[in-house]
Amino acid sequence: MFSTIYIEEEVLESERVKNLLGRFAQVPQVICDRYGEVFNRKSQNFRLQKTAPALILAKKYGRKVLTAPSGYGYNDSKSYYFSHMLNCVYDCRYCFLQGMYSSANYVLFINFEDFEEAIEEKIEENNGGGVYYSGYDCDSLALEPVSNFCSHFLPVFRRYPDAELEIRTKSTQVRCLLDTEVVSNCVIAMSFTTNEAAVQWEHKVPSIEKRLEALHKLQLAGWNVAIRFEPLILGAEGLAPYETLFSKIFSKLDVQRLHSVSSGLFRMPVDFHKRIVKLYPDEELYARPTETENGMIGLKTAKESSQLLAIEKLLLKHISAEQYYRCA
Amino acid sequence: MIEDVKYSMPVNIVVAHGLEAKALVKMLELERHPTSTEFVEYSNSNKLRLLVSGIGKESVAAAVTYLGEQQAFDDGENRAWLNIGIAGHRDAPLGSAWLGNKIIDQSSGASAYPPQLIEGVEVGSVVTVDKPENLYPLDAAYEMEASAFYAEATKYSTAELVQVFKVISDNLEYPISEIDLQSVPNLITAQAPQILTLIERMSEILEQYNSSQRLPSHYHEICSKIRLTVNQKLQLRRLCQRYKALGLEEELGRFAELKASDARKLIRLLAEHIDGVSEA
Repeated sequence: MFSTIYIEEEVLESERVKNLLGRFAQVPQVICDRYGEVFNRKSQNFRLQKTAPALILAKKYGRKVLTAPSGYGYNDSKSYYFSHMLNCVYDCRYCFLQGMYSSANYVLFINFEDFEEAIEEKIEENNGGGVYYSGYDCDSLALEPVSNFCSHFLPVFRRYPDAELEIRTKSTQVRCLLDTEVVSNCVIAMSFTTNEAAVQWEHKVPSIEKRLEALHKLQLAGWNVAIRFEPLILGAEGLAPYETLFSKIFSKLDVQRLHSVSSGLFRMPVDFHKRIVKLYPDEELYARPTETENGMIGLKTAKESSQLLAIEKLLLKHISAEQYYRCA
Repeated sequence: MIEDVKYSMPVNIVVAHGLEAKALVKMLELERHPTSTEFVEYSNSNKLRLLVSGIGKESVAAAVTYLGEQQAFDDGENRAWLNIGIAGHRDAPLGSAWLGNKIIDQSSGASAYPPQLIEGVEVGSVVTVDKPENLYPLDAAYEMEASAFYAEATKYSTAELVQVFKVISDNLEYPISEIDLQSVPNLITAQAPQILTLIERMSEILEQYNSSQRLPSHYHEICSKIRLTVNQKLQLRRLCQRYKALGLEEELGRFAELKASDARKLIRLLAEHIDGVSEA
């Protein structure tokens, strides 16, 4: 599962680390001072490392709960995100993380209690409310059997019913949720692209059917689930793949009970895009014409706005306008 | 031993001592370079290069710089770097060996962590010292080149393709003062399976890397026909990559045949064409 496990000396004696290392005793272990020595070094190649990623166990210092980018969320409440992990086990070619980090190794911050304290402080600041996103810099569920993220953080949010936790994922690792009493202020938001896009760009990601099955089980168990159509990569294939995708999803799930549905276009900061182009000069997606606006780069498509409207029109045949929002 | 390998192995191997080279020359079927330089050099038709640097950090850094600069304009392709050599450990058996997954420079205290993409080879720590170490305080291979080799070689290649492999030649029971130098080639030869695995895997990773970065031949054709500024070359390079990624190499060929003498105009035409073709 991991080529190597790097461990910050400071966390070596923590129970969480000891348990984890015990489970991966066969994986070479290397002690380091700070995770940045391994993770942030120059002259690394994200693409090559993705073939055999390592796990880095570290302690997170500094701010642990950050304000979410504007337009990220689904309502007007104050929105925040926190990342107990950096990088994702999946290998989606469109993902901005490829341009954000110089290493493809997974960093797991093991000081969950410090995150918990920071989240609680932020909730108190917001009179018990606010929306908290997990899964911005990683996939929150994909490494659940290793991280035990849910077991720790769900009880925190159970204590604050007016605060909302969104767990963004493409994973089918939902056993931990199914084995837990539903947390009514927690939303499991599953990301989907069309089957064509998934085949072309989503490597190691569970199939649409398996993800849908996982969501279905969650919904039956009473969990709030949401759908994220991101990124929409508009192209010559037209609307047909979206029609198929929407029919598949909304015929399987109880649409009335969906928490929310959103869409977001393929966008990332210009610097990230530049770095990804260097890593993947042979990738068709990054060879397409682009356009830049306010430091963000997107695909230049002649009919982007009309295509997006057409997709939204299709979507609104299945869901209500109140359930839908467009992610900035 | 390497006779079955038909593909290219653009790996630069650097050793400190001629006795370390001796075993590798035989194992990898290398031939001495006739040209006289400050370093003894060997190579073979599979693009393997072996350089004998001399002992210590300064020597190895100079050897890497020499080879790196020499190859900088070879063919524009990346190369892998491998430092092989003997080392001491407090209790590891003589002849045991590992790939360094942590390199500590004892004098500066700095550590480096060569990314580990290669399975099937033993791994462990390496400590680079300025003077021979007799007590081996850490559970690590003590030697005199790895930290400088790694720091220097990562200037020429990505860190995943820079590795150090150390074979234990001395320990507390058989101290460094009693090393039988003539046994060194045998210690290295005994590690042939691991060394060959290492070179083969590094070559595979390298090929994966280089093939993704390889430019269409039309790029070189255009460059040879038209005078381009550095910036124009960069623009042309990216345009050629885009044509290749979009499966439009043939169309790129048509542009290469044009008798355009104005580089700016050619780049504009290439850009307009690809944007027009690929825009949805």
